[in-house]
Amino acid sequence: MPSCRQTFDPRAALVRPACAAGRRARFVVMAYQFDFTFVPDYAGMLAQGVVYTLGLTVVGGTLGILIGIGGALSRTWDTRPFGELFRYYVELFRNTPFLVQLFLIFFGLPSLGIKLAGWQAAILAMVLNLGAYSTEIIRAGLQATPRGQIEAADSLALTRWQIFLHVMLRPALRKVWPALSSQVVITMLGSSVCSQIAAEELTFVANFIQSRNFRAFETYFLTTALYFALALLVRQAMHLVGRYLIVRRPSP
Amino acid sequence: MMSFSLWDIVRNLLVGGALTLLLSLAAFVLGGATGLAVLLARIGRRRAPRALARMYIELFQGTPLLLQLFTLFFGLSLFGLDVPAWLAAGLGLTLFTSAFLAEIWRGCVEAVPRGQWEASACLALTYREQMRHVILPQAMRLAVAPTVGFAVQVVKSTAVTSIIGFTELTKTGSMIANATYQPFLVYSLVALGYFVLCYPLSHYAKSLERRLHAAR
Amino acid sequence: MPLVSTRRLHKFFGRNHVLRGIKLDVEESEVIAIVGRSGSGKSTLLRTLNGLENIDDGTIEVDGTVLQVDHDDPGALRALRQKVGMVFQQFNLFPHLSTGQNVTLAPRVVKRTPREEAEDIARRMLERVGLGEKFDAFPDQLSGGQQQRVAIARALAMSPKVLLCDEITSALDPELVNEVLSVVRQLADEGMTLIMVTHEMRFAREVSDRLVFMHEGRIHESGSPQEMFSNPTTPEFASFIGSLN
Repeated sequence: MPSCRQTFDPRAALVRPACAAGRRARFVVMAYQFDFTFVPDYAGMLAQGVVYTLGLTVVGGTLGILIGIGGALSRTWDTRPFGELFRYYVELFRNTPFLVQLFLIFFGLPSLGIKLAGWQAAILAMVLNLGAYSTEIIRAGLQATPRGQIEAADSLALTRWQIFLHVMLRPALRKVWPALSSQVVITMLGSSVCSQIAAEELTFVANFIQSRNFRAFETYFLTTALYFALALLVRQAMHLVGRYLIVRRPSP
Repeated sequence: MMSFSLWDIVRNLLVGGALTLLLSLAAFVLGGATGLAVLLARIGRRRAPRALARMYIELFQGTPLLLQLFTLFFGLSLFGLDVPAWLAAGLGLTLFTSAFLAEIWRGCVEAVPRGQWEASACLALTYREQMRHVILPQAMRLAVAPTVGFAVQVVKSTAVTSIIGFTELTKTGSMIANATYQPFLVYSLVALGYFVLCYPLSHYAKSLERRLHAAR
Repeated sequence: MPLVSTRRLHKFFGRNHVLRGIKLDVEESEVIAIVGRSGSGKSTLLRTLNGLENIDDGTIEVDGTVLQVDHDDPGALRALRQKVGMVFQQFNLFPHLSTGQNVTLAPRVVKRTPREEAEDIARRMLERVGLGEKFDAFPDQLSGGQQQRVAIARALAMSPKVLLCDEITSALDPELVNEVLSVVRQLADEGMTLIMVTHEMRFAREVSDRLVFMHEGRIHESGSPQEMFSNPTTPEFASFIGSLN
């Protein structure tokens, strides 16, 4: 099986976009035969791409949400200096494109002496991006805690930390879990641009395949369908995780 | 080798930024109009358009924008159309935007309390009249803040069109970074450019939302 | 001929049989109070009378307009709704419209009444409920009692043949209940046909011509309120009025 790495130079792909290959694939549609026979040959590679994308999503999702919980806590209690720092972090990451964050990390950081491989940069960008969004989402959930809940916990002599852990966190997460799930799906779909820094996720694999088989439309169509299935899968997985971690109530 | 002054870099980025702004505006306006049509189909009474609109929304929300652009670009070329990058970018973003706006607005229509439907039904208003005089005016008030908020997403999404070769801000940045060997500086400036476009919108969306909550 | 008449009305919510064959005739100018425990089907019955709830069997006739199962005739539904006004527990005023616009909306849109004429009607109706000076106010500037009176004016502006009142004082603070009830009493005195679901037993007893006691989806007992309160004929009604105090 051909390996991606030898034939696909990411920086070249950046300057000369993948579409260049597509100009060769211009046909009149009447004469055009859709051809999906390449699929078996590349099935293993596509599967690797799917696993890579899922891996990015799982790591990015888990660490991102953990950052979000910490960030939301610092913002809610305005813990100096973290509250303020998180505010800048959230605003910076929510108001710039993921692709630019990715480029800044992958192409920009080396000039500061920090050199990351494609997959490392991709994960870092995913975690930081999702962390920023999760902070805002979870903060909204924490703010929705009814006053009476906190007063009741106060009067039971719980510490602030105990109140957060036992009284506020779980209802807040339960409330915002659907929003959080959507954000994880959006981030997963957004990870397709990681192909631009040679992270060998699904879109990277698709770019490679279409550069080999000149079946750009079929390749991208199939890949789009795979992403659609992944989105359903991730949503379902988030639902199950949510039920296990947050609701944790004996089923009737 | 050419040498670039900081001003050269900034000047080129400003041109790219202008194209980003233009593309965002076009996608937002055209996407908004398309989105309204999708919305009306999605909340309408006829079953077939409703199902179609639902599929449309799920398709565009459930797949990556980059792949939508690729598929569109190569799909149109199957018809023998040589699509320039700016057109593919504009068309792709318009469709993408319309699906998200339709879904956001649907949420707003559904947030109008059921009692409003019932009260207007009791006054013998038809479905169209209910929509026009009672439901949509209220939904529109609810929709302003999330719509402005989504404008931020549109601006950020335009960055993806750099990958299909549209020379907006990010693409311009990539080219300059390659030429100057100053990627950190250049991408920082690119990020700053997006921030300058997005932050006021985010801030405005948030204050609108706060005002709406206070009004309740 | 009765103004409102229903025959063998049946209604299911899923497998829950909420209305089990309702036969009800209401004469013009009659005031009917429907009472019963929650879940007895009283609100559902009221809501079927103007098509807010679909029915699964039977017919509803209001002033010659017949409503069938499935509401397959939108024209009939629209015609019926012009004859039947409704006032809700939660007022349901349109918050984006002023009081005056709330009242003029349906006459202008449905009946195509010219603007000036519609505003004339609206002013008269608002005066009738004691809110003549609130024409330009918005719902959120009014008290609950005032909002409910606007809702009554809004229904009256369509000159309905019959007015349905669904627990219209239940969402009000106690001190605001009377201003709404006195408007209803005045309507009754003027000869308006009223069908109301209410928890205000004393008011029901005082104003209504006929009391209808619903129990498990049926009209269990009905008659003149004085008669029924002093001599309940069914044990269910006796226990119902016993539980009130």
